[in-house]
Amino acid sequence: MNRALLLGAALAAGTAAAAVAHAQDVIRVGAPLPITGPLSPEAKKQQRGYDLWAETANKAGGVKVGMKRMKVEIVYVDYQSNTPRAVQSAEKLITQDNVNFLFSPFGSGATKAASSVSEKYQVPTVAATASSSQVYDQGYKYLFGTFTPNDTLTEPLSDIVGREAPGVKRVAILARNDLFPLAIAQEMDKSARKRGLSVVYFEKYAIGTLDHASALSQIKSQSPHWIFATGYTNDLILLRKQMADQRIEAPVVTMIAAPAYQDWIDGTGRLSQNVTSAAWWHPAVRYEGKDVFGSTEAYVKAFRAKYGALPDYAEASASAAGAILQLAIEKAGSIERTKVRDALSAMNEMTFWGPVKFGPNGQITSLEPPVFQIQKGKPTVIHPKSIRQGELQLGVSN
Amino acid sequence: MKRDATIAAVLFALVALLPLAGEAYWMRLGTIVLMYGVLAMSWNFIGGMAGYPSFAVAAFFGLGAYTGAVAQKFGLPMGLAWAGAGLVAMVFAVLLGIALLRLRGHYFAIASLVVAEVLRELVNAATELTGGGMGLNLPIPAMASVDAQARFFFYAMFGVAALTFAATLATTYSKLGFGLRCIQQNEAAADMLGVDTTFYKVSGFVLSGVFVGMAGAVYASWVYYIEPPDVFDVLFSVKAIVMVLLGGAGSVFGPLIGAALFLGLEELVWRNYLEVHTGVLGLMIVVLVLFLPKGLLSLSQRFGRWRPTG
Amino acid sequence: MLYLQILANGLVLGGLYACIASGFSLVWGVLNVINILHGSFIVLGGYLAYFAYVKAGVHPFLSILIAIPAFFAIGYALQRLMINRIIAAPVLLTLTLTFGLDLMLSNGMILAFTADFKKLVLEPPLGTIAFGEVVLPIDRLAAMVLALALTGMLYLILSRSRIGRAIVAVRMDREAAALMGVDVKRIYAATFGLGAVMAGASGPLLVMIFPISPLGGPAYLGKAFVICVLGGLGSVPGAMIGGLVLGVAESFGSLWFGPEHAITLSFSLLILMLLFRPHGLLGRKGYE
Repeated sequence: MNRALLLGAALAAGTAAAAVAHAQDVIRVGAPLPITGPLSPEAKKQQRGYDLWAETANKAGGVKVGMKRMKVEIVYVDYQSNTPRAVQSAEKLITQDNVNFLFSPFGSGATKAASSVSEKYQVPTVAATASSSQVYDQGYKYLFGTFTPNDTLTEPLSDIVGREAPGVKRVAILARNDLFPLAIAQEMDKSARKRGLSVVYFEKYAIGTLDHASALSQIKSQSPHWIFATGYTNDLILLRKQMADQRIEAPVVTMIAAPAYQDWIDGTGRLSQNVTSAAWWHPAVRYEGKDVFGSTEAYVKAFRAKYGALPDYAEASASAAGAILQLAIEKAGSIERTKVRDALSAMNEMTFWGPVKFGPNGQITSLEPPVFQIQKGKPTVIHPKSIRQGELQLGVSN
Repeated sequence: MKRDATIAAVLFALVALLPLAGEAYWMRLGTIVLMYGVLAMSWNFIGGMAGYPSFAVAAFFGLGAYTGAVAQKFGLPMGLAWAGAGLVAMVFAVLLGIALLRLRGHYFAIASLVVAEVLRELVNAATELTGGGMGLNLPIPAMASVDAQARFFFYAMFGVAALTFAATLATTYSKLGFGLRCIQQNEAAADMLGVDTTFYKVSGFVLSGVFVGMAGAVYASWVYYIEPPDVFDVLFSVKAIVMVLLGGAGSVFGPLIGAALFLGLEELVWRNYLEVHTGVLGLMIVVLVLFLPKGLLSLSQRFGRWRPTG
Repeated sequence: MLYLQILANGLVLGGLYACIASGFSLVWGVLNVINILHGSFIVLGGYLAYFAYVKAGVHPFLSILIAIPAFFAIGYALQRLMINRIIAAPVLLTLTLTFGLDLMLSNGMILAFTADFKKLVLEPPLGTIAFGEVVLPIDRLAAMVLALALTGMLYLILSRSRIGRAIVAVRMDREAAALMGVDVKRIYAATFGLGAVMAGASGPLLVMIFPISPLGGPAYLGKAFVICVLGGLGSVPGAMIGGLVLGVAESFGSLWFGPEHAITLSFSLLILMLLFRPHGLLGRKGYE
């Protein structure tokens, strides 16, 4: 009887201890996303990326934290595509849901707004979708971004065009009046002027513009050789279609940031041919990483296995955010926020996403964003040379 | 009036004690409730008392936010920036009121709605001054701790709310309030009886704008980064209206009750019904309009002897 | 010449705008109800056409015919069951009611269709046609012609059919119409139904041209507001004129002030009209 009691007590104690230990064995990462509202398609991409990372990390036994391994749990909160709510969500995740770390909300604007909260509470935050340097200009120490600044997209692009299409002299720029699209258009303007190209048109269109005919007619009247348009998927589908409506043709047409997405290619059909774009990553890049995914190929394979499609740069960036965070935790050997923050700041590692090194403002500086062109309905990498899949084709026609 | 004032004093005193009990997140929620309280009470002046369906709350809020933000960008300290925002909102309300209050019903509603859109695009275009589509950074408030910062802004918004409430009380029991209610009943008759309808209407409109402008400026300082679509959001106007309808239009406490209740419901729905929260909000609105058009306070009219004045 | 092209762009766009606005104008003019659902009806019609094309190969022009009875039924029922209950209430309440209903509808559409933008890509594409220096896309042109045809049909219904005459009578003087034996309740419901038809039927036209999303309603609504004020309430010719004027104004506005100001321009036009001629270009004073 006594022995039974003792055994029972031991069992109970053991279970209790295990339960307590279990509860502490989880790293919680907060992910505020626009699950509802106009940005929800973007949220889906981010979610796919984060979930793949969490699953992969947990399947490998968890994140190595010093001597033990801890599983990863992603805590999602919907901020309804509303930036003030994104800020509120960040605070809720930190103070109510007790997350250890944070992923940024979608896009430069919301990332910037929410980063004020994570900086206040000193929570290391990795931003998977913020490239504009304005996001990182507040001197914060706890914000890290996986996208290089916008000029790393426009500069290589301008180099290639300058080299392989020397006849291109006149550039027309049409930008959506929003943080990222406008910022990158301004970079393009700079890159063009630097090379002596003449910018014959540079205008912004309001968010929610339903019709671009007039702007495009004006562009047509300037006979540009290179048309550079920025916006989100729906804007760029409409723009490409309306270009065809007015029989606008040019040697080079570049659009950022939609051509990488399958949605855009589907929405434009045969009009997608020869449109160029640039992004921070492409499934064709080849890196041998030290992160939980290993090589780019392995990542693409894992993504394909889980979701049945090739990953685009937004999805990969989300996974990369997780993988980078994991590397930092493992390097630091702890989940203490300042230690992880320091590990992120000092990082210099190769990952499936590319070489990862952050600048003093927290933004990654080490990537070489691929330039690609849609050829026969597929994004084809034309730069850098090491992973080139095809040559730049001139002439975008209808 | 004395009774209303006493009740209010107790209420406000209780709310002022909130920071002692809560931590930063609850303070954030409290600040938001106070902010919407300001919006609701403000709308009540022109919409509840005078009966003019104004959608201009979003315009005043955005205007106040950007005025305060730009003022701070040029070095003005927060308090002055907020006061300045209120002043600018006031002047804008006078001009706008004179122009628009000649319109009635739907036309007035649309015009007031559209003003916010126009302002937003103007701000978007003035990239040099306001950052345009790229947003505007404000100087980061230098506070001792997260909690101290949360408390500071809680009390700032509390101050604006208290001011707005005082104005509500004063107006309700004054000639202005009487005049506004006359205008709602029958403007032509009021005019014939010698009520200076233009002056009263514009005054009501100004009251509906000045505190909202201040709240906008406080909001901007609180989040220290704003973009045009965030602060010129038509939902500010819509929510203010729904809150007042919920609580009881034209009454002294209705707007506050409506604001608190609405936000409480919204927080609950947000936490629990991820996919359908806008639908649930819509349902709430539909039920409210069809079954409780006079607001919750009308229930007390049916069941209790206490009638809110106004 | 650039100006001719800009004018042509504006007119084609304007024809589409006219169709969007005519139903909205009718409901506002006759029932004194601003139907916030109008924009979402357009989007719903667009989605139905999109899925009909993608899943069953039904051409969007055909979808219009399907949309007509479907949306009439929806509109009629909605008005009869809900909106009629507060038809005599202050403007604010009816506005808020339709706003709440719109929230529910757009949320429902997000759940059903997801928030991705969808655009109908006709295979094979219809191409473009040139009139001298001016180039116009055939699909837009066809859509504009159909839109004008629909609007024209509405006008005929209002001026020739019995129910149309009854609607006009109710608009002019509700009490007198009732005294003449018109069942005002039924007329209100029928008018709302007609409004819904104009919205739902223009959806298939628009989805061929613009990418749509469940949250796209307010954008169309904004245009409808401006057009109604420009052209005068409750008048189909007014909506036509208003639509054309808006289309051309936006087109030239984009040229002279830059594309970012196109939206501001149309709203400024709205405010100016409200201040100086609220009954619109074709409306008559007193019919507010």
